[in-house]
Amino acid sequence: MARSSRPREDAQPSATDLRSWGLDPAWSRQVTFSVRPDSDPVTWHVLDTGEPKDGDGPTLVCVHGNPSWSYLWRDVLSTLGRRYRVVAVDQTGMGFSERTAPRRLAERVEELVAFCRAETTGPLVLIAHDWGGPVAVGASASLPVVAMVLSNTAVAKPADVAVPPLIASARRFVDLSCRRTTAFVAGAAAMTQRSHRAALLAPYRSTRRRQAIGDFVADIPVFPGDPSAAALASSAAALATFAGPVLLVWGGRDPVFHDRFLRDLRQRVPGADVHYEPSASHFLPLDVPIGSLVGAWLENTDVTEAAGDRDGASVAIGSAHPVEPADLAPSDGASLLADLDRRHDDHGFVYRGPDGDLTWSDLHTKSLLAARVLAAHGVAAGDRVALLVPPGADLLVASCALWRVGAVPVVAEASAGLRPLRRLLRAAAARHVVAPRRILTAAVAGRMTPGAQRFTWGRFPRSIDFDRPVPASTTMDFPSPDPDDLAAIVHTSGATGPAKPVCYTHGALLAQRGVMRAMVGQGEDEAFTTSFGAFMLLAPALGLVGVRPDFDVNHASELDFDTLAGALGLASVTTAWLSPASARSIVATAGGRRLGLPVTLLAGAPIPASLASAVAAVTGGEVRAPYGMTEALPLTDGINPEATGPFGGTATGAPLPGVAVVIERLSAPGEWVADDEDWGEILVSAPWMFAGYDSRWQQNTEHRVVIDGRRFHRTGDVGYRHDGQLFQLGRRTHVIETPLGLRSPVALEQPVETALGTPVAFVGVGPKGAQVLVCVLEDSGDLRLADDETAHQVRSVGSEPVAAVLRGSLPTDRRHESKVDRVALADAVSDFLAGR
Amino acid sequence: MKILVTGGTSLLGGTVAQRLESRGHDITCFQRRSNPWGLRDVLGDIRDRDQVIGAVASHDAVVHLAALVAPKPRWADAFAVNVTGTENILAAASSTGRLVHVSTPSVAFGDRPAMGEAVGLPDYRGKDAYAHTKAIAERLVLERTAVPTVVIRPHLVWGPGDAQLVGRVVVRARRGAVVLPDHGRALIDTTYIDDAAAAIVAAFENATAGNEATGRAWVVTGGDPRPLAELLGGIVQAAGLDVRPRSLPAPLVGRLGRWCEALWPGDEPPLTYFAARQLSLAHWFDQRETRRVLSWQPEVDVDEGLRRLTEWFGRQPG
Repeated sequence: MARSSRPREDAQPSATDLRSWGLDPAWSRQVTFSVRPDSDPVTWHVLDTGEPKDGDGPTLVCVHGNPSWSYLWRDVLSTLGRRYRVVAVDQTGMGFSERTAPRRLAERVEELVAFCRAETTGPLVLIAHDWGGPVAVGASASLPVVAMVLSNTAVAKPADVAVPPLIASARRFVDLSCRRTTAFVAGAAAMTQRSHRAALLAPYRSTRRRQAIGDFVADIPVFPGDPSAAALASSAAALATFAGPVLLVWGGRDPVFHDRFLRDLRQRVPGADVHYEPSASHFLPLDVPIGSLVGAWLENTDVTEAAGDRDGASVAIGSAHPVEPADLAPSDGASLLADLDRRHDDHGFVYRGPDGDLTWSDLHTKSLLAARVLAAHGVAAGDRVALLVPPGADLLVASCALWRVGAVPVVAEASAGLRPLRRLLRAAAARHVVAPRRILTAAVAGRMTPGAQRFTWGRFPRSIDFDRPVPASTTMDFPSPDPDDLAAIVHTSGATGPAKPVCYTHGALLAQRGVMRAMVGQGEDEAFTTSFGAFMLLAPALGLVGVRPDFDVNHASELDFDTLAGALGLASVTTAWLSPASARSIVATAGGRRLGLPVTLLAGAPIPASLASAVAAVTGGEVRAPYGMTEALPLTDGINPEATGPFGGTATGAPLPGVAVVIERLSAPGEWVADDEDWGEILVSAPWMFAGYDSRWQQNTEHRVVIDGRRFHRTGDVGYRHDGQLFQLGRRTHVIETPLGLRSPVALEQPVETALGTPVAFVGVGPKGAQVLVCVLEDSGDLRLADDETAHQVRSVGSEPVAAVLRGSLPTDRRHESKVDRVALADAVSDFLAGR
Repeated sequence: MKILVTGGTSLLGGTVAQRLESRGHDITCFQRRSNPWGLRDVLGDIRDRDQVIGAVASHDAVVHLAALVAPKPRWADAFAVNVTGTENILAAASSTGRLVHVSTPSVAFGDRPAMGEAVGLPDYRGKDAYAHTKAIAERLVLERTAVPTVVIRPHLVWGPGDAQLVGRVVVRARRGAVVLPDHGRALIDTTYIDDAAAAIVAAFENATAGNEATGRAWVVTGGDPRPLAELLGGIVQAAGLDVRPRSLPAPLVGRLGRWCEALWPGDEPPLTYFAARQLSLAHWFDQRETRRVLSWQPEVDVDEGLRRLTEWFGRQPG
């Protein structure tokens, strides 16, 4: 085989090419070094940003996988090159580096070590992707590495994972697929946007230049006896002993290094920060702005000298802000399970619904039985279990059983749609799944919980019978969980952005039970009903009878007056918790009839005062609209939803005991606003708040603020405090930025809706800061201009200039059927008014 | 200050000249016909360099508004007035202390919607002779000027007595031939005559050495964009006419424009492709920088402008 030991001149990329790929030609250079004094030198092509202009710190060394090259790190180079020295290497035989005899993994590790020793000084951060991962991790043992960032990679093949099909087929026909044709390179490049393909393929145009791609594939240790298996094992060992911080950045749509590899890495590095991007694929560094993510992570870890003012802990607090003392919520400290054991011979109902009734005694026995089945099949404390059981008696039994063994239910609602549901479940990496047969079949067919152990009711192929007795020898002695232990993972609705996994601890759930007890009735025979599926679990937690109305919980608006009245007839319901869509439907179908319902809680979206009073007229009782979200619920008492405030918006009542609310100035993050002074982003803190988003390092960092040592959640909602009440003005992302200042759509909409008697939505079009206001009146059909008279009416309500008044249907979210999707509406309005 | 205003017979030129005079400046208007505003005239042809140099001599500043505005002028005519004329002004103005060049946002027209855009490059090279020659002229001014210079691009100036927008709309409406592309949904910003004049005066005041406004072009609009249907409907109403505009699909209006251009004999076809596209696409601009740098604010929004227009029509005989 004739291979030149020096790269030919034409092997180097031209400045024009580099520029067209978004790379600075000044970064491109060649480095010749030797692994040992007596060994042959090798020449690498690297992209090196050189000494940073702003600040010093570790050098960032980026290692690509196969088949790619340093181009992969384009965003890291351009985003972080001013702050750090960033060196992205082309491994031997790859990219624009020298073509040589085949390299084994151990040799690649040696080469990276030698390169770093020759070319860098001081501490290093290694950033690696794909098969660059084991190379970088292997090298970390011999280098002054202070932190590592690993993306869609592996240091071992999990035992229960098949060889990735792309690798498997490539390996069988290595020469044909990798070297003689571009099949492997092109197949890999097809996993990212088309715009990257030319650059990814550029160094691999001829068979000679593709040689190392085949060598690399052939070297991947798949079986224990493979030549590089030992080297891979020492990389795994190096990762286990690595003491510095590790960030795992993962693309959820990678068919090669999929979520099972992430689970494997998380087990190897339990303390790793994880940032999961559900929509990114294999080439995550090209699919997402990884530079700013890595930059933020480095600022937040101890590796940089500027790490002093991180974590928001030292954010200056203005003297004007009123943070309530962090007194804890009332809680009796006893858990639902303790109640269950106490009432084991209580034959009163704990649940009544269309699927049957359940007594306290039933729930006690069945959940205990199920817990033994789970335990007998190895479900252990801390295990994540996908819980795909519709609201009802079975959900109560399954949840209690899971909590008994200390497992963590992962709950995702099917109303999100199948594709998002699969993404959420796969991201949660559940080890087990509990579902009724029909849903289990769908979950298996849809590959929603790959590799998970299946539990269902009754016998079913390859699943474990959930209520089949197990030998009495199985333990019944389950340890009670620690308050800081993870209790459940639920998901945000996705109505206001991609759905996010929300982690709750047992301590938070206990505190939530305490605050809810103070809000709803506690009498022995009192009952509770709700239009929200998961809230059904609140009833037993509160010691109440749960009543489920007979309707499809995925379609909130199907709960009408008669259905609710039917549910109320089953027990003495004193509290109903309804979504706005259900409430509207009940009001619409009441036809002058009334229900006897002492307390109705409305939550899920801002509740207009008109809806609150309409519901009160139907129920004949009190209506409350407490503020809250999946991450923290409830936060205010929701009393007096008809109250008005100086900046408009919806009244949500006074913060509950134990809740602290801070309003952050939109124009100046870290500055707090006094009551009545202005509106801004709502920051909340409560003992029953969530612990964080699962595997979302970036979102956790953005949403978490520490004030006076207390953890606050940036809600993404805007509002203000007035007269002891918290008023909500909608979502921060919907705020319209006009040349005259920031405008809240909710505050603009309310007076227009009152004057015209029609639901309207205000959106901004144009670039932020120069946006103009457009008002859309709800009407069926496509967007169109409203008539002159209507436009005049709208404009005469307020003093703000309104560029256009349109009619058309307002898109709403799927789950609540009540939040107007203003982002989608703004896009549609912008397209409409742009003309064509 | 002694100021020469070119194009003084137009509504905008006259309004600017009067405003400058009321501020105590000594105004001379330069154009072929005498102005109707009672201001001092030097009559002459902008295409003639000697006449221009003679007229500018002994002035302290030039405000250059003269241009050939027609739906479809002959290229040679448009070039002679808009480019050669501007070259002559540039040559002559080097003896003065400052220059204001009045351009148009059309010089950056890209046949795509402009939604809250910043000032675009004057790179229009399409078939519209007016926009094309004005683009060449603007580039000449910014490249060659020897004195502190501010370029102003007022967008769709209208008001009482305006023969361009208001005049044409009313003529069409009287004929019952107002056609809107796609029901007139494109969001379009306009400038009321008084605000446009005030912006040009502000440009004059800022055309001093070292001022941030100099050496650059500034789009000037009322900052109150409206759908085309509202604007044209408002003007038709102000004129006391009862005409329901007809709607045609925007692509068809564009094609009609092309046919008219190709088949119409004179230089005033009822529609051109350029005009059709300008009516079909959004045009509004981010005004924050302009307002800050010129220290100028529009004072008449569309509703107030229409009110004044209605009054004015009411005072017209017949």
